[in-house]
Amino acid sequence: MQADLPRGDLVAALPRLRRYARVLEGDFARADDLVQDTLARAWEKRALWQAGTDLRAWLFTIMHNLFVNQRALARRDARNVSLDDDDGAGLQVPVEPTQQLRVELAELLRDVERLPVEQREVVLLAGVEEMRYEDIAAALAVPIGTVMSRLSRGRERLRRMRDEAPVSLRVVRTNP
Amino acid sequence: MTLPAPLSEHDLHGWVDGQLDATRAEEVAAALRASPDDAARAAAYRTQNDALREAFDPWLAEPLPAALVEAATRPEARTSADWLRYGGWAAMLVVGIALGSALGWGLRDLTLQQSGVPTTFAREAAFTHALYAVDQRRPVEVAAGDEQSLVTWLTKRTGRHAFAPDLSSAGYHLVGGRLVAGNAKPTALLMYENADKERLTLQWRPLAPGTEETAFRYDVENGVGVFYWIEDACTYAISGTIDRAKLLAVARLVYGQLVVADAALK
Repeated sequence: MQADLPRGDLVAALPRLRRYARVLEGDFARADDLVQDTLARAWEKRALWQAGTDLRAWLFTIMHNLFVNQRALARRDARNVSLDDDDGAGLQVPVEPTQQLRVELAELLRDVERLPVEQREVVLLAGVEEMRYEDIAAALAVPIGTVMSRLSRGRERLRRMRDEAPVSLRVVRTNP
Repeated sequence: MTLPAPLSEHDLHGWVDGQLDATRAEEVAAALRASPDDAARAAAYRTQNDALREAFDPWLAEPLPAALVEAATRPEARTSADWLRYGGWAAMLVVGIALGSALGWGLRDLTLQQSGVPTTFAREAAFTHALYAVDQRRPVEVAAGDEQSLVTWLTKRTGRHAFAPDLSSAGYHLVGGRLVAGNAKPTALLMYENADKERLTLQWRPLAPGTEETAFRYDVENGVGVFYWIEDACTYAISGTIDRAKLLAVARLVYGQLVVADAALK
Protein backbone atom coordinates (compact mmCIF):
# COMPACT_ATOMS: atom_id res chain seq x y z
CA MET A 1 0.00 0.00 0.00
CA GLN A 2 1.23 3.47 -0.82
CA ALA A 3 2.03 5.85 1.98
CA ASP A 4 -0.37 8.75 2.34
CA LEU A 5 0.54 12.38 2.24
CA PRO A 6 -0.76 14.20 5.30
CA ARG A 7 -3.78 15.94 3.82
CA GLY A 8 -3.97 18.54 6.57
CA ASP A 9 -0.38 19.58 5.94
CA LEU A 10 -1.04 19.65 2.22
CA VAL A 11 -4.00 21.93 2.66
CA ALA A 12 -2.06 24.07 5.11
CA ALA A 13 0.68 24.45 2.49
CA LEU A 14 -1.76 25.58 -0.22
CA PRO A 15 -1.63 29.33 0.43
CA ARG A 16 2.16 29.30 0.24
CA LEU A 17 2.16 27.08 -2.83
CA ARG A 18 -0.21 29.50 -4.51
CA ARG A 19 1.99 32.41 -3.60
CA TYR A 20 5.09 30.73 -4.98
CA ALA A 21 3.18 29.83 -8.14
CA ARG A 22 2.05 33.43 -8.60
CA VAL A 23 5.58 34.67 -8.26
CA LEU A 24 6.81 32.10 -10.78
CA GLU A 25 4.01 32.59 -13.30
CA GLY A 26 3.33 36.26 -12.80
CA ASP A 27 -0.34 35.51 -13.45
CA PHE A 28 -3.03 34.39 -11.04
CA ALA A 29 -4.98 31.99 -13.27
CA ARG A 30 -1.91 30.22 -14.57
CA ALA A 31 -0.61 30.05 -11.01
CA ASP A 32 -3.64 28.07 -9.84
CA ASP A 33 -3.17 25.67 -12.75
CA LEU A 34 0.41 25.17 -11.64
CA VAL A 35 -0.75 24.45 -8.08
CA GLN A 36 -3.23 21.90 -9.45
CA ASP A 37 -0.50 20.20 -11.46
CA THR A 38 1.83 20.24 -8.48
CA LEU A 39 -0.74 18.54 -6.25
CA ALA A 40 -1.49 15.93 -8.91
CA ARG A 41 2.21 15.20 -9.27
CA ALA A 42 2.67 15.07 -5.50
CA TRP A 43 -0.01 12.38 -5.22
CA GLU A 44 1.52 10.43 -8.09
CA LYS A 45 4.94 10.60 -6.51
CA ARG A 46 3.83 10.26 -2.93
CA ALA A 47 6.07 7.21 -2.44
CA LEU A 48 9.05 9.54 -2.88
CA TRP A 49 8.13 11.75 0.04
CA GLN A 50 9.74 10.78 3.30
CA ALA A 51 7.40 11.18 6.22
CA GLY A 52 8.82 13.57 8.77
CA THR A 53 10.67 15.70 6.23
CA ASP A 54 9.54 19.15 5.22
CA LEU A 55 6.48 18.67 3.04
CA ARG A 56 6.37 22.28 1.95
CA ALA A 57 9.97 22.17 0.63
CA TRP A 58 9.17 18.97 -1.24
CA LEU A 59 6.11 20.59 -2.83
CA PHE A 60 8.14 23.66 -3.78
CA THR A 61 10.63 21.36 -5.49
CA ILE A 62 7.89 19.66 -7.48
CA MET A 63 6.40 23.00 -8.43
CA HIS A 64 9.72 24.43 -9.47
CA ASN A 65 10.48 21.41 -11.67
CA LEU A 66 7.06 21.51 -13.28
CA PHE A 67 7.41 25.18 -13.99
CA VAL A 68 10.87 24.80 -15.50
CA ASN A 69 9.72 21.87 -17.66
CA GLN A 70 6.61 23.65 -18.83
CA ARG A 71 8.59 26.72 -19.71
CA ALA A 72 11.06 24.64 -21.70
CA LEU A 73 8.18 23.01 -23.58
CA ALA A 74 6.51 26.35 -24.18
CA ARG A 75 9.72 27.71 -25.61
CA ARG A 76 10.05 24.72 -27.92
CA ASP A 77 6.47 25.16 -29.08
CA ALA A 78 6.70 28.92 -29.17
CA ARG A 79 5.91 29.05 -32.83
CA ASN A 80 2.61 27.28 -32.24
CA VAL A 81 1.44 29.48 -29.41
CA SER A 82 -1.20 31.98 -30.39
CA LEU A 83 -0.62 35.53 -29.36
CA ASP A 84 -3.86 35.72 -27.42
CA ASP A 85 -2.85 32.75 -25.39
CA ASP A 86 -0.17 34.27 -23.30
CA ASP A 87 -1.82 37.44 -22.19
CA GLY A 88 -1.27 37.14 -18.45
CA ALA A 89 -3.04 39.50 -16.12
CA GLY A 90 0.15 40.14 -14.15
CA LEU A 91 0.54 40.16 -10.40
CA GLN A 92 -2.44 41.87 -8.91
CA VAL A 93 -2.30 43.77 -5.70
CA PRO A 94 -4.31 42.26 -2.90
CA VAL A 95 -7.09 44.46 -1.62
CA GLU A 96 -5.62 46.92 0.80
CA PRO A 97 -7.39 49.42 3.02
CA THR A 98 -5.55 52.46 1.83
CA GLN A 99 -4.97 53.86 -1.60
CA GLN A 100 -1.43 54.88 -0.81
CA LEU A 101 -0.53 51.36 0.27
CA ARG A 102 -2.02 49.95 -2.93
CA VAL A 103 0.02 52.19 -5.15
CA GLU A 104 3.26 51.33 -3.44
CA LEU A 105 2.56 47.63 -3.39
CA ALA A 106 1.57 47.69 -7.02
CA GLU A 107 4.85 49.33 -7.88
CA LEU A 108 6.80 46.83 -5.86
CA LEU A 109 5.00 43.89 -7.44
CA ARG A 110 5.60 45.33 -10.87
CA ASP A 111 9.31 45.58 -10.12
CA VAL A 112 9.38 42.02 -8.80
CA GLU A 113 7.75 40.90 -12.03
CA ARG A 114 10.53 42.51 -14.01
CA LEU A 115 13.16 40.35 -12.32
CA PRO A 116 14.23 37.22 -14.20
CA VAL A 117 12.30 34.31 -12.75
CA GLU A 118 15.45 32.64 -11.39
CA GLN A 119 16.14 35.70 -9.25
CA ARG A 120 12.50 36.34 -8.43
CA GLU A 121 11.98 32.92 -6.89
CA VAL A 122 15.15 33.06 -4.78
CA VAL A 123 14.28 36.55 -3.51
CA LEU A 124 10.85 35.20 -2.49
CA LEU A 125 12.05 31.95 -0.93
CA ALA A 126 14.79 33.63 1.12
CA GLY A 127 13.13 36.92 1.97
CA VAL A 128 9.45 36.08 2.29
CA GLU A 129 9.29 32.32 2.90
CA GLU A 130 12.40 32.63 5.08
CA MET A 131 13.81 29.34 3.83
CA ARG A 132 17.41 28.47 4.66
CA TYR A 133 19.82 28.83 1.77
CA GLU A 134 20.69 25.12 1.93
CA ASP A 135 17.01 24.23 1.64
CA ILE A 136 16.53 26.58 -1.29
CA ALA A 137 19.53 25.01 -3.03
CA ALA A 138 18.05 21.56 -2.42
CA ALA A 139 14.58 22.59 -3.61
CA LEU A 140 15.90 24.15 -6.81
CA ALA A 141 18.60 21.49 -7.32
CA VAL A 142 21.36 24.05 -7.75
CA PRO A 143 24.58 24.60 -5.75
CA ILE A 144 24.32 26.99 -2.83
CA GLY A 145 26.72 29.34 -4.60
CA THR A 146 24.17 29.70 -7.37
CA VAL A 147 21.46 30.51 -4.85
CA MET A 148 23.67 33.20 -3.35
CA SER A 149 24.56 34.80 -6.66
CA ARG A 150 20.93 34.84 -7.81
CA LEU A 151 19.84 36.30 -4.49
CA SER A 152 22.57 38.87 -4.66
CA ARG A 153 21.77 39.95 -8.20
CA GLY A 154 18.02 39.87 -7.65
CA ARG A 155 18.12 42.01 -4.54
CA GLU A 156 20.53 44.50 -6.00
CA ARG A 157 18.48 44.81 -9.14
CA LEU A 158 15.30 45.30 -7.16
CA ARG A 159 17.03 47.89 -5.00
CA ARG A 160 18.16 49.85 -8.05
CA MET A 161 14.67 49.73 -9.55
CA ARG A 162 13.25 50.99 -6.27
CA ASP A 163 15.86 53.72 -6.07
CA GLU A 164 14.76 54.96 -9.46
CA ALA A 165 11.12 54.83 -8.45
CA PRO A 166 9.63 58.20 -7.56
CA VAL A 167 7.92 56.88 -4.43
CA SER A 168 10.02 55.56 -1.58
CA LEU A 169 10.08 51.85 -0.86
CA ARG A 170 8.98 52.39 2.66
CA VAL A 171 5.34 51.59 3.05
CA VAL A 172 3.57 54.65 4.32
CA ARG A 173 0.40 54.11 6.23
CA THR A 174 -2.25 56.74 5.87
CA ASN A 175 -5.70 56.83 7.29
CA PRO A 176 -8.31 55.53 4.89
CA MET B 1 38.04 40.26 15.35
CA THR B 2 36.85 42.12 12.28
CA LEU B 3 36.19 40.44 8.99
CA PRO B 4 38.19 41.43 5.95
CA ALA B 5 36.31 43.83 3.69
CA PRO B 6 34.52 43.44 1.39
CA LEU B 7 32.11 41.09 3.14
CA SER B 8 31.19 37.93 1.30
CA GLU B 9 27.73 37.93 -0.23
CA HIS B 10 26.88 34.90 1.85
CA ASP B 11 27.68 36.78 5.06
CA LEU B 12 25.85 39.92 4.03
CA HIS B 13 22.66 38.19 2.93
CA GLY B 14 22.92 35.71 5.78
CA TRP B 15 22.90 38.68 8.13
CA VAL B 16 19.94 40.27 6.32
CA ASP B 17 17.94 37.03 6.51
CA GLY B 18 18.98 36.13 10.05
CA GLN B 19 20.63 32.93 8.92
CA LEU B 20 23.98 33.37 10.70
CA ASP B 21 24.84 31.87 14.06
CA ALA B 22 25.21 34.34 16.90
CA THR B 23 29.02 34.58 16.75
CA ARG B 24 29.12 35.11 13.03
CA ALA B 25 26.27 37.60 13.18
CA GLU B 26 28.27 39.64 15.70
CA GLU B 27 31.35 39.59 13.48
CA VAL B 28 29.33 40.63 10.45
CA ALA B 29 27.60 43.39 12.40
CA ALA B 30 31.03 44.72 13.40
CA ALA B 31 32.23 44.52 9.80
CA LEU B 32 29.11 46.39 8.67
CA ARG B 33 29.77 49.18 11.12
CA ALA B 34 33.20 49.57 9.53
CA SER B 35 31.83 49.60 6.00
CA PRO B 36 29.09 52.17 5.34
CA ASP B 37 28.50 50.96 1.78
CA ASP B 38 27.84 47.39 2.87
CA ALA B 39 25.78 48.63 5.79
CA ALA B 40 23.61 50.69 3.46
CA ARG B 41 23.07 47.71 1.20
CA ALA B 42 22.23 45.42 4.11
CA ALA B 43 19.74 47.94 5.48
CA ALA B 44 18.17 48.36 2.04
CA TYR B 45 17.76 44.60 1.67
CA ARG B 46 16.10 44.32 5.05
CA THR B 47 13.67 47.06 4.11
CA GLN B 48 13.12 45.23 0.84
CA ASN B 49 12.25 42.01 2.69
CA ASP B 50 9.78 43.87 4.90
CA ALA B 51 8.13 45.48 1.89
CA LEU B 52 7.93 42.16 0.05
CA ARG B 53 6.27 40.51 3.00
CA GLU B 54 3.87 43.41 3.20
CA ALA B 55 3.05 42.93 -0.46
CA PHE B 56 2.89 39.14 -0.52
CA ASP B 57 1.51 38.16 2.87
CA PRO B 58 -2.09 39.27 2.16
CA TRP B 59 -2.24 36.58 -0.52
CA LEU B 60 -1.99 33.96 2.20
CA ALA B 61 -5.29 35.10 3.67
CA GLU B 62 -7.27 34.67 0.46
CA PRO B 63 -9.95 31.97 0.39
CA LEU B 64 -8.81 28.84 -1.43
CA PRO B 65 -10.61 27.74 -4.61
CA ALA B 66 -12.54 24.51 -4.01
CA ALA B 67 -10.73 22.87 -6.92
CA LEU B 68 -7.39 23.23 -5.18
CA VAL B 69 -8.70 21.91 -1.90
CA GLU B 70 -10.13 18.95 -3.80
CA ALA B 71 -6.76 18.39 -5.47
CA ALA B 72 -5.14 18.18 -2.03
CA THR B 73 -7.23 15.11 -1.23
CA ARG B 74 -5.92 11.62 -1.97
CA PRO B 75 -7.24 10.77 -5.45
CA GLU B 76 -8.83 7.49 -4.32
CA ALA B 77 -10.65 9.27 -1.54
CA ARG B 78 -12.28 11.80 -3.84
CA THR B 79 -15.77 10.46 -4.13
CA SER B 80 -17.46 13.46 -5.59
CA ALA B 81 -17.84 17.12 -5.07
CA ASP B 82 -21.06 16.39 -3.18
CA TRP B 83 -19.05 14.92 -0.39
CA LEU B 84 -17.44 18.29 0.09
CA ARG B 85 -20.72 20.07 0.16
CA TYR B 86 -22.69 17.87 2.47
CA GLY B 87 -21.48 17.37 5.95
CA GLY B 88 -17.90 16.52 5.18
CA TRP B 89 -16.70 19.78 6.56
CA ALA B 90 -18.05 19.38 10.03
CA ALA B 91 -16.63 15.88 10.27
CA MET B 92 -13.26 17.09 9.13
CA LEU B 93 -13.25 19.90 11.62
CA VAL B 94 -13.75 17.42 14.42
CA VAL B 95 -10.93 15.25 13.11
CA GLY B 96 -8.77 18.30 12.61
CA ILE B 97 -9.18 19.50 16.14
CA ALA B 98 -8.61 16.00 17.45
CA LEU B 99 -5.37 15.66 15.56
CA GLY B 100 -4.33 19.13 16.58
CA SER B 101 -1.76 21.66 15.43
CA ALA B 102 -0.75 21.51 11.79
CA LEU B 103 -3.62 19.38 10.63
CA GLY B 104 -6.09 21.43 12.57
CA TRP B 105 -4.97 24.77 11.18
CA GLY B 106 -5.58 23.94 7.57
CA LEU B 107 -8.94 22.38 8.16
CA ARG B 108 -10.15 25.13 10.39
CA ASP B 109 -9.27 27.71 7.78
CA LEU B 110 -11.17 25.77 5.21
CA THR B 111 -14.12 25.29 7.44
CA LEU B 112 -14.22 28.99 8.11
CA GLN B 113 -14.04 29.80 4.44
CA GLN B 114 -16.64 27.19 3.62
CA SER B 115 -19.04 28.67 6.12
CA GLY B 116 -18.47 32.10 4.64
CA VAL B 117 -16.61 33.59 7.59
CA PRO B 118 -14.07 36.11 6.41
CA THR B 119 -10.70 34.92 7.70
CA THR B 120 -9.68 38.43 6.90
CA PHE B 121 -11.12 39.48 10.25
CA ALA B 122 -7.62 39.24 11.71
CA ARG B 123 -6.34 41.57 9.02
CA GLU B 124 -9.12 44.06 9.55
CA ALA B 125 -8.45 43.91 13.28
CA ALA B 126 -4.76 44.56 12.74
CA PHE B 127 -5.40 47.52 10.45
CA THR B 128 -7.98 48.95 12.80
CA HIS B 129 -5.56 48.53 15.67
CA ALA B 130 -2.80 50.27 13.72
CA LEU B 131 -5.15 53.10 12.90
CA TYR B 132 -6.39 53.90 16.40
CA ALA B 133 -3.60 52.68 18.69
CA VAL B 134 -1.27 55.45 17.53
CA ASP B 135 -3.89 58.13 18.04
CA GLN B 136 -2.86 60.07 21.13
CA ARG B 137 -5.75 62.53 21.22
CA ARG B 138 -8.75 60.50 20.26
CA PRO B 139 -8.07 56.74 20.29
CA VAL B 140 -11.63 56.03 21.47
CA GLU B 141 -15.07 57.55 21.14
CA VAL B 142 -16.21 56.79 24.66
CA ALA B 143 -13.71 56.87 27.50
CA ALA B 144 -13.43 54.22 30.18
CA GLY B 145 -14.63 56.67 32.85
CA ASP B 146 -18.09 56.07 31.51
CA GLU B 147 -17.73 52.29 31.30
CA GLN B 148 -21.38 51.51 31.93
CA SER B 149 -22.69 53.64 29.09
CA LEU B 150 -19.85 52.39 26.89
CA VAL B 151 -20.92 48.80 27.48
CA THR B 152 -24.59 49.62 26.98
CA TRP B 153 -23.87 51.47 23.78
CA LEU B 154 -21.72 48.67 22.30
CA THR B 155 -24.33 46.10 23.29
CA LYS B 156 -27.04 48.06 21.55
CA ARG B 157 -25.11 48.71 18.37
CA THR B 158 -23.60 45.24 17.88
CA GLY B 159 -26.67 43.35 19.04
CA ARG B 160 -24.56 41.31 21.39
CA HIS B 161 -24.02 41.67 25.08
CA ALA B 162 -20.80 43.66 25.51
CA PHE B 163 -18.40 43.07 28.34
CA ALA B 164 -15.11 44.80 29.15
CA PRO B 165 -12.61 42.23 30.47
CA ASP B 166 -10.42 43.29 33.37
CA LEU B 167 -6.81 43.04 32.18
CA SER B 168 -5.19 44.66 35.20
CA SER B 169 -3.46 41.42 36.14
CA ALA B 170 -1.57 41.75 32.84
CA GLY B 171 -0.85 45.41 33.56
CA TYR B 172 -3.41 46.88 31.16
CA HIS B 173 -6.27 49.23 31.97
CA LEU B 174 -9.26 50.13 29.85
CA VAL B 175 -8.91 53.34 27.84
CA GLY B 176 -12.36 53.22 26.27
CA GLY B 177 -14.11 51.97 23.18
CA ARG B 178 -15.53 52.75 19.79
CA LEU B 179 -17.50 51.25 16.93
CA VAL B 180 -15.79 50.27 13.70
CA ALA B 181 -17.52 49.60 10.39
CA GLY B 182 -17.74 45.87 9.78
CA ASN B 183 -19.12 43.67 7.01
CA ALA B 184 -22.80 43.46 7.86
CA LYS B 185 -22.76 44.51 11.50
CA PRO B 186 -20.44 46.95 13.19
CA THR B 187 -17.40 45.74 15.09
CA ALA B 188 -16.96 46.74 18.71
CA LEU B 189 -13.55 47.86 19.84
CA LEU B 190 -12.13 48.25 23.33
CA MET B 191 -8.70 49.73 23.85
CA TYR B 192 -6.37 48.97 26.73
CA GLU B 193 -3.09 50.56 27.72
CA ASN B 194 -0.28 49.70 30.13
CA ALA B 195 2.09 51.90 32.14
CA ASP B 196 4.48 52.05 29.15
CA LYS B 197 1.65 53.41 27.00
CA GLU B 198 1.57 50.22 24.96
CA ARG B 199 -1.91 49.64 23.63
CA LEU B 200 -3.95 46.56 22.92
CA THR B 201 -7.31 46.42 21.23
CA LEU B 202 -10.01 43.83 21.69
CA GLN B 203 -12.48 43.68 18.80
CA TRP B 204 -15.51 41.52 18.26
CA ARG B 205 -18.32 41.12 15.79
CA PRO B 206 -21.36 38.79 15.88
CA LEU B 207 -21.60 36.12 13.16
CA ALA B 208 -24.47 34.03 11.86
CA PRO B 209 -25.89 31.75 14.56
CA GLY B 210 -24.35 28.30 14.49
CA THR B 211 -20.97 29.37 13.09
CA GLU B 212 -18.38 26.75 13.99
CA GLU B 213 -16.19 27.69 16.91
CA THR B 214 -12.44 27.75 16.57
CA ALA B 215 -9.43 27.71 18.83
CA PHE B 216 -6.98 30.60 18.94
CA ARG B 217 -5.25 31.50 15.74
CA TYR B 218 -2.33 33.86 15.45
CA ASP B 219 -1.42 36.16 12.61
CA VAL B 220 0.90 39.08 12.11
CA GLU B 221 -0.19 41.87 9.82
CA ASN B 222 2.02 44.87 9.26
CA GLY B 223 3.84 44.20 12.49
CA VAL B 224 0.63 43.94 14.52
CA GLY B 225 0.15 40.56 16.19
CA VAL B 226 -3.44 39.27 16.35
CA PHE B 227 -4.92 36.36 18.24
CA TYR B 228 -8.41 35.61 17.00
CA TRP B 229 -11.05 33.01 17.54
CA ILE B 230 -14.74 32.30 17.18
CA GLU B 231 -16.85 31.55 20.19
CA ASP B 232 -20.60 31.37 20.47
CA ALA B 233 -21.21 32.84 17.00
CA CYS B 234 -19.00 35.81 17.59
CA THR B 235 -15.52 36.45 16.22
CA TYR B 236 -12.96 38.04 18.53
CA ALA B 237 -9.52 39.48 17.93
CA ILE B 238 -6.97 40.84 20.34
CA SER B 239 -4.26 42.89 18.68
CA GLY B 240 -1.06 44.53 19.75
CA THR B 241 2.57 45.02 18.91
CA ILE B 242 3.79 43.10 21.96
CA ASP B 243 5.41 39.70 21.50
CA ARG B 244 3.39 36.64 20.79
CA ALA B 245 3.73 34.98 24.21
CA LYS B 246 2.55 38.11 26.04
CA LEU B 247 -0.32 38.62 23.64
CA LEU B 248 -1.33 35.00 24.05
CA ALA B 249 -1.39 35.43 27.83
CA VAL B 250 -3.72 38.40 27.42
CA ALA B 251 -5.86 36.49 24.91
CA ARG B 252 -6.28 33.68 27.42
CA LEU B 253 -7.23 36.16 30.10
CA VAL B 254 -9.85 37.74 27.83
CA TYR B 255 -11.17 34.40 26.71
CA GLY B 256 -11.52 33.10 30.26
CA GLN B 257 -13.43 36.17 31.40
CA LEU B 258 -15.70 36.16 28.36
CA VAL B 259 -16.62 32.55 28.92
CA VAL B 260 -17.52 33.30 32.52
CA ALA B 261 -19.46 36.44 31.55
CA ASP B 262 -21.38 34.60 28.81
CA ALA B 263 -22.19 31.72 31.14
CA ALA B 264 -23.56 34.20 33.68
CA LEU B 265 -25.95 35.53 31.03
CA LYS B 266 -27.44 32.15 30.22
